[in-house]
Amino acid sequence: MDAIFSYLVSSTIGLPWLGSLVLVILARANEKTQHWIAFLFSLLSTICAISLISFNGPAAVIFPGGGVFGDISLMADGLGIMLSVIATGIGCISILFSTAYMKGEKQLSRYYSLMLFFIGAMVGLVLSSNLFYTFVFWEITAVCSYALISFYNDDPKAVRGGMKAFIITQLGGVGLLVGSLILYGTLHTLHIPTIMLKLTNIPPGVLSLAGFGFLIAAVAKSAQVPLHTWLPDAMEAPTPISALIHAATMVNAGVYLLARFYPAFYTVPGWKDAIIMIGAITAILSAIMAATAYDLKRVLAYSTISQLAYMVYAVGVGDIFASQFHLLSHALFKALLFLAAGAVIHSIGTRDMRLMGGLGRKMPFVRSMFIIGALGLAGIPFFNGFWSKDAILAAGFSHGPMWAYLIMLITTGITAYYTTRCVWMVFLGEPRTEIHPHPVSPVMKASLFILSIGTLTSWGMGGRLAEFFEHSLPFHHFHPLSIAERFAEVFTFPMTYGTLLVIATGMVVYLYIKRVRGVVHDFRGIIQFAENGLGFDALNAVVSQVTIYTAEALRYTQTGVLNWNIFGMLLGMIAMLGLIEMGGL
Amino acid sequence: MTADFAFKSLLLLPVIAFPFIYLIGRASVRLSTRNTGTQRNPAKWIALFVMLLLVMPLVIVVKQFTAQGPFSTFIGSIELKMDGVGILMSIVVVLMSLAVVLFSDHYMSHEVGEEKYYALLVCMTGMVMGMVTSTDLFNLWVWFEAMAITPYILVAFYHDRAPALEAGVKYLFQSAAGTMLVLFGIILVFMHTGSLCLGGSCAIEIPKEPALVVAGLLFITGFGVKAALVPMHTWLPDAHSQAPSGVSAILSGVVIEAALIAMIRALDMISPVFTNAGTFLIILSVGNIILGNLLALRQTQVKRMLAFSSISHMGYIVLGIGITMSYGLINGAQGSFFHIVTHALMKGLSFMIVGALMHAYGNSKGDAHAPLEISDLNGVASRFPGLAFALSIGLLSLAGIPPLAGFMSKWQIFVAGFETGNPAMIGVVIFAALNSVLSLAYYAPLINRMYRQKPTPYLAKAGRIAFSMNMVFFALGILIIVVGVMPGTWNWLTNPAAQIIQKAFWGG
Amino acid sequence: MTLTFPDLVLIAVMALFGIGLYALLTIRNLIRIIVALQVLVKGVILLIILAGYLTNQIGMAQSMALTVIVADTIVAVLGMALAVQIMRKKKSLDTSDIAELKR
Repeated sequence: MDAIFSYLVSSTIGLPWLGSLVLVILARANEKTQHWIAFLFSLLSTICAISLISFNGPAAVIFPGGGVFGDISLMADGLGIMLSVIATGIGCISILFSTAYMKGEKQLSRYYSLMLFFIGAMVGLVLSSNLFYTFVFWEITAVCSYALISFYNDDPKAVRGGMKAFIITQLGGVGLLVGSLILYGTLHTLHIPTIMLKLTNIPPGVLSLAGFGFLIAAVAKSAQVPLHTWLPDAMEAPTPISALIHAATMVNAGVYLLARFYPAFYTVPGWKDAIIMIGAITAILSAIMAATAYDLKRVLAYSTISQLAYMVYAVGVGDIFASQFHLLSHALFKALLFLAAGAVIHSIGTRDMRLMGGLGRKMPFVRSMFIIGALGLAGIPFFNGFWSKDAILAAGFSHGPMWAYLIMLITTGITAYYTTRCVWMVFLGEPRTEIHPHPVSPVMKASLFILSIGTLTSWGMGGRLAEFFEHSLPFHHFHPLSIAERFAEVFTFPMTYGTLLVIATGMVVYLYIKRVRGVVHDFRGIIQFAENGLGFDALNAVVSQVTIYTAEALRYTQTGVLNWNIFGMLLGMIAMLGLIEMGGL
Repeated sequence: MTADFAFKSLLLLPVIAFPFIYLIGRASVRLSTRNTGTQRNPAKWIALFVMLLLVMPLVIVVKQFTAQGPFSTFIGSIELKMDGVGILMSIVVVLMSLAVVLFSDHYMSHEVGEEKYYALLVCMTGMVMGMVTSTDLFNLWVWFEAMAITPYILVAFYHDRAPALEAGVKYLFQSAAGTMLVLFGIILVFMHTGSLCLGGSCAIEIPKEPALVVAGLLFITGFGVKAALVPMHTWLPDAHSQAPSGVSAILSGVVIEAALIAMIRALDMISPVFTNAGTFLIILSVGNIILGNLLALRQTQVKRMLAFSSISHMGYIVLGIGITMSYGLINGAQGSFFHIVTHALMKGLSFMIVGALMHAYGNSKGDAHAPLEISDLNGVASRFPGLAFALSIGLLSLAGIPPLAGFMSKWQIFVAGFETGNPAMIGVVIFAALNSVLSLAYYAPLINRMYRQKPTPYLAKAGRIAFSMNMVFFALGILIIVVGVMPGTWNWLTNPAAQIIQKAFWGG
Repeated sequence: MTLTFPDLVLIAVMALFGIGLYALLTIRNLIRIIVALQVLVKGVILLIILAGYLTNQIGMAQSMALTVIVADTIVAVLGMALAVQIMRKKKSLDTSDIAELKR
C-alpha cells in the first residue's frame, strides 16, 4: 500500500517533469508530436493525482536529505490532494486547449516544457511536508510563471510583466524564507507536522515573525493589496497560461499556505485581523478596478484578485473549509472564463472589450460557456460559486467583524455588476466594429465543455470534501456538514437572501447605468483613477525608479582612477580604526 | 603512492611543471614556424596532462584526510598542513583549473603567448594549494604574493589592448599596496609575539597589545583588497572583465576566495586579542552585498556585470564566516564554504559561456576580444539552445533560485544568521535575502534576451562552439543541478572546513 | 623624554610608510607610483629588521627581509613592464589618462 502510494505521489510530480525533459530534448520535433506528448504526460499525471484520493488520511514519502535542508518528505492530506488534482486537472485541460490555441507558434517546446514543469512544481508545493522544499517548489513555480509570462520575449510589455511578477513574488518569497528560517532556528526541524506538534515550544515573538512572514508571502503570491500589481500585468502571457497559472493554481498557493498554517498562527495577536483587513480591502478595490477596465483579460485578472481575497478573508474568519471550497469553485469557473476569453481573443485578435459586442451570435457555443462561468463568478444559485461564496459570507457574518462582512457583501454586488458588464460588452448588444471571427476549433470547445460541467456540478462534492479534510487534517479541527445539511443551512440562513438581493442589484445597476450616461460622466475622475490601478502602479514605478537612480548615482564611486582606488582602501582601514577608537566595537 | 608523497607532489608538481610548459611551448612555436611555417603549440596538452596528473595525488590526499583527519608534510623545513579548508580549496582549484584548461583548448588557440597562459595557470593552481596549507604567517604571505603575481600577468594577457593593460595596472598597484599592509601587520604580530605560528600548532602567548588589533585591521584591509571587500574592491570589475574569460572564471571562482581564506588564517592567530574581527566582517559583507548588486544593475557589458556580481557573492561568503567568528555557529562557515564551492561552479560556468560567445562572435564582429554587450545575447537560444540553457542555469543559480546550487549555500548561511537569535543579525540576513531578489533585476533580463526571437545581426555569422567547451559547460551545468538537488551530500567536504574556523575562533 | 634606538627606527618606519602612502594617493605618474611603492616596501623591510632585533631572531628577520626584497622586485619589474606597454599604447603615464574603465 505504502509502496503504491509513494509511486503515485512521486509520479504525480515526476511525470510532468519527465514530460518537460522529453520536450526539451524533442525541441526540433514536429509540432503535432509536441502538442500530444505534452497532453499525454499531463493526462497521466492527472490520473495519478486523482487516484491519490483513495489514500484517505495522512501518508508520507521520505527521501533522505541532510543537515539544514531536512529530508524531502511528501505527504498527501486533504489540502494537498485537492490542490494537486486541481493543478494537474486544469493543467491537462489547459494543455488540451493549447494544442489548438498555440498552433503554429515558434518555440513550442519551451512553452510546453515550462508548463509541465510548472504543474509538477505546483503539485510538489502542495504535497511537500518539509518547509524548505515547500519554499523550493514555491520559487520554481515563480520561475515558471515568469518565463511563461514573458513567453513572447520580443514584446517589451510581456518582458516587463514577467519581470514584475518575478520580482514581486520573490519579495513575498523572502517572507516565506524568513518564516521558515526562524522556525528552523528555534525548533531545528523543517517537518511541518512536527512543527505543528511543537508549537508550544515557540516563543510568541518568533511565532508572530513567522506568521507575518508567511502572510507577506501569501499576499504577494495570491496578489493581494498592496502587492497585487503584478497579476494584471501578467496577462501578457498566452491565455491558457493565464487560465492555469494566474487563475486556477499558482495564485492559490498563498491561500494554501495560510490555510495550511492556520492552526499554527491563529493565536498570534493581530494575525487574523490583518488577514481579514487585507482580504476585505483587496476584494473591494480590485472589484472596482475590474468594473472599470476595458481589457478583457485584465477584467478577469482583477476579478481573480477579488475572488482570492474572498478566500483570504475566509481564512481570516477561521473557516478554512469555506476558503478551500471557494478555491475549488473558483479554479473551475475562472479557468472556464479565461479559456473562453482565450477562444474569443484567438478568433478575433484583440483583447479590447470596446471593440467587441454582439459576438454571441457569431460564436454561440463560446457565449454559453462564458455565461456559465460568469454565473458561477457572480454567485447565482446552483452554480458552484454561489455555494462557496455563500459559505464564506455566512462564516464572515457569524465569526468576523461586521464592517468586513459589509464590504464583502457590497463586493458581491460589484462582482455581479462587472460580470454583467463583461458579458454584455463582449457577447450581447450590438457589434461595435466589423469583426469576422475565425471558427473555434473542436478541441477548444471540448475543453470548455469539460470545465463548464465542473462549474455546474462541483458543489455537489462539498460534503465529501469536508469529510476528507476532517480525516486527514488533524490540526485544523473541521466540523464537516453533509451536502443536505449544507443545503438546509444555506436556505434557512436569512442573509443568503440578502446576498442574492445585492447580486441582483449589481446586475440591474449595470443595465440601468448604460442608459444614464450622465452618471458615468460625473464619476469620470474616480473611474480614471481606477483604470490606472488606483495609484498602486505609480507606487511600484517610484520604488523601481529610486533603485535605479541610486544605482546610477553609486556608479560614480567607480572612478577608474588608480589613486582613488588606493584612497578607497585606506578609507576602509581608517573607518575600521575609527569604529574601534570610538569604542563602538 | 603514500599520502605524504601525494601531498608533496600536489604542491610541487605545478611548480616544477610550469617553467617546462612555457619553455617547451615557446621552443616548439619557434621551431615549427621556422621549419614548417605553421604554428604548433603543445603547451595546452602538457598543461592538460599536468592537471589530470594532479587529480591522482588529490584523490589520495582526500582519501587520507577522510580516513585519518588533517596531516602534515615538510618541504625542507617548511611545514604544510592539509586540513579541512585545505582539502576544500584544493578540490575547488583543481576542478576549476581543469575546466578552464579544457575550455581554453579552443578559446585560446592561436593567441600569441598561449604557452605563457597555460604555464601561469598551472603555476597559480599550485600556489593556491600551497597558500591554503601553509602553517606559518610569513609563508602564508609568500605563497599569497606568489599566487597574486600570476593573475597580474594573466589579466594583462592581451597586452596589445589598452583596456586590458589598464586593468592589469590598477590590479597590480592596488594589490601591491594591499600586500604591503598585510606584511606590515605580519611584522607587527612577529614583533609582539616573537612567533609566526598559525593554527595553534605551537602554543604561544598572545599579549593584549593594541598593536595587534591594528595588525588585525591591516589584515582585513590588505587581504581585503584581494578578496574584493568593499571599499577595497575597485580593481575587481576592471580586472575580471578584461582578463581572458577562463582567467576571469578562475579569478572570480577561486582566487578572491583564497585571499579570504588567507585573511581568516591570519586573523585566527590574533583572535584572542582582536575579538571583533567577526563583527567587522559582517559589516563589510553588508557593504559588499548591496554595492555589488546596485552597481551590477546598470551595467551594459556582461562580463563587467558578472564581475560586480562576484563582489556581492563575496559578501554572502564573508557574512557566513563572520557569523561563525562572532557566534561560533558552525552553519555560518559551513554555508560559506559551500558557497565557495557553488559560486566557483556557477560563476565559472557563466564567465566561460560568455567567453565562448565572445569567441563565437569573433568571426562576425571581426574582433574576438570585443566585450560582449548585453544586447549581443538577443536570440542566442535560437542558434545555441544548449548554451543558452546552461547560461540560464548559471545565472538563475547566481540569483539564488532554488533548486539550483547557489540557493542551497545561501540558505545554509541564512540559517546560521537566524540561529544566532540576535535581532540585528536577523535583520542583516533579511537584508541579504532582499538583495538576492534585487539581483534578479539584472540576471533575469539576460535570460530574457537569450530567448528572444529576433536575433542580433552578428548571430547568424557567429562561429561554432567547440566540443571541448560544450563538454565543460555540460559538466558544470549538471554539477550545479546535482549539488542543488542533493545539497546534503556535500557535508563531508564543508563540515570539516567549517570546524577549522569554529575551532580557531571558539576553541572547539 | 628620551628616545631609545627602537623608537627612532619605528619613527623612521612610520615616516617611510606615511610618505609612501601619501605619494600613492597624490602622485599621478605611474613610474613615480612604483617609486612610492618602493618607499613603502623599504619601510616594511626596516620594520622586519627592527622586529628581528627586538625579538632576538635577527637571522630569521634577515631571511624574511631577503624574501620580501625578491618578491617586491618581481612586482616592481612587472609594474615597469606594464608601464612601458601603457606608454606605448596611450602615450601617457598619467593615472587620470588610464581611467577608461569606470562606472
